[in-house]
Amino acid sequence: MAADVHSKQEVSKIDAPGRRTEPPVRPARTSSVRKTGLIFFPAFDWAISPTHPEREERLLYTRDQIFEEGLMDFPEIVEYRPRLAELKDVARVHFCVPDVQSQVTEAHLIAAGSTLVLADALMRGEIRNGFALVRPPGHHSMRVVHGNRGFCNINNEAIMVEYIRRKYGVRRIAIVDTDVHHGDGTQDIFWHDPDVLFISFHQDGRTLYPGSGFTSEMGGPLALGRTLNVPLPPGTTDEGILYVLENLVLPVLEEFDPQLVFNSAGQDNHYTDPLANMRFTAQGYARLNEMLAPDMAVLEGGYAIESALPYVNTGIIQAMAGLDYSNVREPDYVPGRFVLTSEMRRSIESTVNHLLTIWDSRDDLVAKARQEHGRFYSRRKRIFYDTDMITEGQEETLRMCTECPGYLTVSTQAARGYGRLNTAFCVSVPLFACRSCIEDAREEYEEHKSEMKYDYVYLQDKPSDRFRAYCTRTRNEIVL
Amino acid sequence: MFAGIDVGGTTTNAALVDGNKVVKTAIGPTDHHEILGSLLRTMDRLIEGVDVERIERVVLSTTLITNLIAEGKADRVGLVLIPGPGVNPKDYRFRTEPVILEGAVDYRGREIAPLRDDQIRATAQSLADQGYRKVAVVGKFCQRNHEHEMHVREVFSKAAPAIEVEMGHRVSGRLNFPRRAATTMLTLATRDHYRRFAEQAERAMRERGIKAPIYILKADGGTLPLDKSLDRPVETIFSGPAASVMGVMALTPVGQTSVVVDIGGTTTDLALILSGKPLLSSKGAKIEDMLTHVRAFAVRSIGVGGDSVVRVSDGKITVGPDRAGPAFALGGPEPTPTDALMVLGLTNLGDMTLARKGTGIIASKLGCSTEDAARMIVDTVVDRIVDTVNMMFLEWEQEPAYRIWELLQRTKARPQNVVGVGGASPPLVPLVAKRLNAVAIIPEHAPVANAIGAAVARPTMTLSLRIDTERGMYTVEEDGTLGEAKGRNLSLEGAQEMARQLLRERAERFGIQDYADEAEVVDSEVFNMVRGWSTVGKLIDVRMEIPAGIISSWRGEHGS
Ligand SMILES: [Zn+2]
Ligand SMILES: [Zn+2]
Ligand SMILES: [Zn+2]
Repeated sequence: MAADVHSKQEVSKIDAPGRRTEPPVRPARTSSVRKTGLIFFPAFDWAISPTHPEREERLLYTRDQIFEEGLMDFPEIVEYRPRLAELKDVARVHFCVPDVQSQVTEAHLIAAGSTLVLADALMRGEIRNGFALVRPPGHHSMRVVHGNRGFCNINNEAIMVEYIRRKYGVRRIAIVDTDVHHGDGTQDIFWHDPDVLFISFHQDGRTLYPGSGFTSEMGGPLALGRTLNVPLPPGTTDEGILYVLENLVLPVLEEFDPQLVFNSAGQDNHYTDPLANMRFTAQGYARLNEMLAPDMAVLEGGYAIESALPYVNTGIIQAMAGLDYSNVREPDYVPGRFVLTSEMRRSIESTVNHLLTIWDSRDDLVAKARQEHGRFYSRRKRIFYDTDMITEGQEETLRMCTECPGYLTVSTQAARGYGRLNTAFCVSVPLFACRSCIEDAREEYEEHKSEMKYDYVYLQDKPSDRFRAYCTRTRNEIVL
Repeated sequence: MFAGIDVGGTTTNAALVDGNKVVKTAIGPTDHHEILGSLLRTMDRLIEGVDVERIERVVLSTTLITNLIAEGKADRVGLVLIPGPGVNPKDYRFRTEPVILEGAVDYRGREIAPLRDDQIRATAQSLADQGYRKVAVVGKFCQRNHEHEMHVREVFSKAAPAIEVEMGHRVSGRLNFPRRAATTMLTLATRDHYRRFAEQAERAMRERGIKAPIYILKADGGTLPLDKSLDRPVETIFSGPAASVMGVMALTPVGQTSVVVDIGGTTTDLALILSGKPLLSSKGAKIEDMLTHVRAFAVRSIGVGGDSVVRVSDGKITVGPDRAGPAFALGGPEPTPTDALMVLGLTNLGDMTLARKGTGIIASKLGCSTEDAARMIVDTVVDRIVDTVNMMFLEWEQEPAYRIWELLQRTKARPQNVVGVGGASPPLVPLVAKRLNAVAIIPEHAPVANAIGAAVARPTMTLSLRIDTERGMYTVEEDGTLGEAKGRNLSLEGAQEMARQLLRERAERFGIQDYADEAEVVDSEVFNMVRGWSTVGKLIDVRMEIPAGIISSWRGEHGS
């Protein structure tokens, strides 16, 4: 056995049945099932704080609109009951410091669990696509979680991705983040993953939270080009976003040929959103959804709770269910109200062209990165948690493995003001790791346990689906 | 004494209840063409030799409305919609082609597009030309602002005075525009027929010297004075199954979880009572292919019954959904489950030789003994019932939830009892109960449980109040009442008090004020409306109800 630790056979051994041949799963395209699965979980009894944008009222008018439309009664739509995600589902994605329980409330587990209910329905073939119209959102939550960032604690969509991969053996997945804010959390989680294509378009980070998402952010050294960021000028209209979709997103998806396509469906590109400056309309959202035809859409942001959300969500639900959305419009909308200036158009075209070049040269970029870095690659990051006022310093180290995506370690320390919070050492073993990475990663975990350098040491062992958390002070290990 | 009469699909059942005792029962056939006649014939047998002066209350449950709709005898109704932005109204599947008007109101009741008088006039004219005498006018969110619907009615009254207009907000204020449209149409389509029936029934009772108030049983198991029900005929649809459920409530221990099994000739009706509360269908009754806002028990009907035809196809037994006549044992042409039950010694309702002969037809096709064939037939029926019951529990467990507490509080439920009512239930219910690990109960008077249920059911009422303090207004869902709400700082307690008062007034209007104090707040919530970073108002929702229940004189001695 020891002789072929790096053989392909070992890699496929952890594959679930059916993965080896990798048929295109894409039920949305291939299934004869016509139903769209919907979970509406407005969490009418949960808020970050009474006047926070992420409060009870957020989906109230959306509820009124979609219930009054009678959308749930359409035979094309089937409504599911949410459930709570298990702590283990969270640990499969996140290093929650000190533990999962202290970073999530029931509302978070329900929002994440909703995506899992729909994922199961999708993979069982009950539905052809699904929409988790849930809150709280998740796309700003990164791999390591010390607190709430950008209204998010845990990343619903990433939790769904890892769940589906684990349970159903799907490997290649694309996530298209259409929220107006850069999906920096999702980007961070899949940064080193060559099997997850992450495309985010958003208002230019120089003008909007979280201030990232530039074209130069294109993935870790072994996954270069599998992260594509499309910063858009403030004021971009339907036409501009649909241009990106048609000229960048769809061709890239075609080539990447994912088994599943997910959409982080933020609704804050809307022309009335109070937190951003874009000019997207309900018609634009419906059209976007129709063209992208995601297997699953998950709500992220969107805070124009009266002027946008009721209409945008009606449009998205209709588009997913294949119903006619042409009658959906905001009360103050008149066609032709927003025009894309030629300056914006040129800027978008040049961004798209630049990204296509990156995409086309992705394999060369990876090859070059291999030459540049030795056996390990590291980077340092600083992360700010706006909601909880926490600053975090990280050092990330990736094994530049030639047989698998490589295991990753993250050393992290968090502080609030001058008060030190926690330090932790996190080891993550990818689901499709090679034997040597699995063994070395487990060893690193054991080594760091015996040192007293960190408060907590974690091992995210995806191949065995075991998630260990060790507290160096109490010497207590918890296994999920 | 209380009298209950249920005019069902095949039989009309009647019962007379005194305190906690059933003092008399009667069963007669139902003639579909003559509902009132069927009712009165059985009534006459019930009151024969009874001092009618002692009757304090008469409760009717009838299939009148169900039949009118099923037989296409309801009146023709035109549909005028004011849908505004959203779903393309062509995607709704109404039974008639709706006329679409311009104009729109949003989710908070604000006008977002005006009506056009010329268009309304032209519509009125055109519908009159097409011979419509009744028109339903329904606007999206018009329950939160009546002006559009009222204005359309006004223009109609001038442009087409012969047309009777009913407005959506008067029929239901619940969210769901297409259901409101369907319910409004059904109300208009059946109201005249219902009114005639009610008048005749009332007159006939008075002729018989019965001076007691007459009530009708609604689909949610509540009673309503007959004269107060004239405007809302569709609420009485499915009162038959509701009567059976109320009968089971009356005849089984309080607070338990039971499956109600009513096995008839060709159908079996199933309903659930969860910890003493009958399960309501979550959004409203489905009447044929029409989804409505009618509050009704969640009754599932499957096409198997004692007289269903049994066949063999592809080596497998099938039962129903059709009926060819009575059981073979009673001279019918085809084998039925009743014959199989006789072969197994579970019932003796006919000629055993014929029962064996009928079942033998199936046995010879399967190449097995008559006894084995009988067992397989009965198993097939029991399987269908058990599968449906399990599905109903599963669906209840899987009902969507929109709040954290709603999601966390619901746990798995399993039946403690399987309760059989109706004629064909006794032999099958023990078999169903065994499969569900529950206790089989065939209550005394099981064949007339529905009539007993009608006799002892109490009124129900719901009141859903929404207050929008920023707009300074309130609406009541049930009948679209709309009024001014003063005070931006209204507290939840204040809102609940207001709801209680509104419910009391509503109960008085419906002549059931004696029960107003039974009303309980079922849920309430407050949404702070924040614009920018400051609170500009509150949206408060309070829901109250007088749930389905049994009048106290019956429970007085029966209760536990
Ligand atoms: Zn984005
Ligand atoms: Zn956002
Ligand atoms: Zn490796």
